[in-house]
Amino acid sequence: MPQMFRRGRFWIQLGVVVALMAFGGLLINNITVNLIRTGLGLDFGWLWRPAGFALAETALPYAPTDSYAWALVIGWMNSLKVILVGLLLATMLGVAAGAARSSRNGLLRSLSGGYVALIRQVPLLLQLLFWYFVAFLGLPDTPVGGLIHVSNQGIRLLGLNLSVEFCSVLTGLVVFTGASIAEIVRGGINAVSRGQWEAFRSLGLSEGLGLRRIVLPQALPAILPALTSQYLNLAKNSTLAIAVGFADLYAVSDTTITQTGRAIEGFLLLLLSFLLLNLLISGGMALMNRAVLGRLQRSR
Amino acid sequence: MNRWLDRWLTLMLLALLGWAGWSCLHWLWHGADWTVVVTNLPLYAVGSYPDAERWRPLLCIVAVVVLIVITLLGPRHGGWRRSLPLLWSAMAPLGIWLLAGGLGLSPVGTQSWGGFSLTLLLTAGSGLLALPLGVLLALGRRSDLPVLRGGSTAYIELMRAIPLIAVLFFGQLLIPLFLPPGVEINRVLRAVVAFALFAAAYIAEDVRGGLQAIPPTQREAAAVLGLSPWQSLQLVVLPQALRVALPSLTNQAVGLLQNTSLMAILGLVELLGISRSLLANPAFIGRYLEVYIWLAAVYWLACTAMALLARHLEIQLDPVRSAR
Repeated sequence: MPQMFRRGRFWIQLGVVVALMAFGGLLINNITVNLIRTGLGLDFGWLWRPAGFALAETALPYAPTDSYAWALVIGWMNSLKVILVGLLLATMLGVAAGAARSSRNGLLRSLSGGYVALIRQVPLLLQLLFWYFVAFLGLPDTPVGGLIHVSNQGIRLLGLNLSVEFCSVLTGLVVFTGASIAEIVRGGINAVSRGQWEAFRSLGLSEGLGLRRIVLPQALPAILPALTSQYLNLAKNSTLAIAVGFADLYAVSDTTITQTGRAIEGFLLLLLSFLLLNLLISGGMALMNRAVLGRLQRSR
Repeated sequence: MNRWLDRWLTLMLLALLGWAGWSCLHWLWHGADWTVVVTNLPLYAVGSYPDAERWRPLLCIVAVVVLIVITLLGPRHGGWRRSLPLLWSAMAPLGIWLLAGGLGLSPVGTQSWGGFSLTLLLTAGSGLLALPLGVLLALGRRSDLPVLRGGSTAYIELMRAIPLIAVLFFGQLLIPLFLPPGVEINRVLRAVVAFALFAAAYIAEDVRGGLQAIPPTQREAAAVLGLSPWQSLQLVVLPQALRVALPSLTNQAVGLLQNTSLMAILGLVELLGISRSLLANPAFIGRYLEVYIWLAAVYWLACTAMALLARHLEIQLDPVRSAR
């Protein structure tokens, strides 16, 4: 009987392989026919040709005479900039809003609840458009105390120039992701037993100190895995920057593909970039997870 | 907590809220001009659908709203309640028939579909396609057969690594390349397929979570009763797993509805797309805030209704409740 069962499994696998190969072969056949018909073969030579389009925001020197490859690198840097700052700020906002949900102050509690309920039920793209067209482009020209200058051309902070596009993408991502992180933090805090709260309160610790020293460290193991997937979401959502004209990796890829018509190659490069980005974020979070768990175990 | 700090915090928050409320009221009274919303209500609902046939998408929307109201507020027992699943499952084919025409109605091409009816159609169509695909992928990922497991895992992980906008863009661009020459599918269908391929990977992970929550004893018990592996999956394991996965599937469904707005970037005139073209009209120049508040309200209501429906379904499927 086990022998027969194993033989059955073999045939199922063979069937799946044959079906997949037939399906894949059909797709590959179609795509080859279509590529030959349209005269496009797989070729990355265009990467070294001059891009010819200008980019509004560049972290490194860039001119339209530079190659497509360099334009893509600039897009990469812009994406990385908004993602890294976004991760940091969204975490801060999310932890604050999540902790506020278990505050003793009723007003603060309902305010943070309202924030989460409102933001999570409205599409991110709509929020981005709001931040760009209404909030940041509607800014009056106001110098705030000489060091900060706010206008609808951008925000100047101590010599650091932030474009309106960057600001609106960043704000949109932070506010949207912050609401999801707040829910995760609230869940984590709720998972810590009420006895811990009563214990630190009876020891005379203040609410804030108890939250930071007693509750949050114990909530971290429950929070971190969900946090990782929110970080990945933020990175993926940053591609919506194209809607407000921020030259991120996806926007540059889009322009490149439209100009060169190299859709498959462009897609492969984008796929590779995002796989790399995901590896970076989940790798970093795995290191942090290990560090946190190790510290918790040592302190026990 | 320090009582003075608490009072001070409350006072500050009240001041902040008061200031925000005052500026809102001031804007509503002096700045807001809602003509851009009020005069274009039919456009938001059905897009540039031919005037004479507008009743068809409108009927679709009204039917969905009526069904939602009946489901949530209607009688708890009786014939109405029992026929609800049937009515819900009839909605999708009915909606497509009403929008596309044929069978007695004059056909209307997908290029004139738009507005909220297109948003609903994109959500329902891709959701209905993605759910079975997601379940299959989840089963594949948990299979003992290495080929199936490897293939499903690779698909899920790759799909979850790329942003949705890229999937949609390349769906529009690449799907025609994979089809035999001469076969063409239209933009709306391409969007639905790309959405479904994307959502299936996420649904698969949620269903896998549900499958993992079912103890192996369930399968063993089914085997002892003489059920074949296929029967035990179909009758014992999957129903329980799907019920466990329902809350996270709800989140996916709400996300799907919100993400249909991305099609605006790619030029479909669903709810957000039609608003973008309205804002480009010189007559409504600069009326961003009014339009965005209106859209936010519509999306918020739709998403909340969806979440409520799912909560309702959860209660209906609760074994403790239905055993009574």
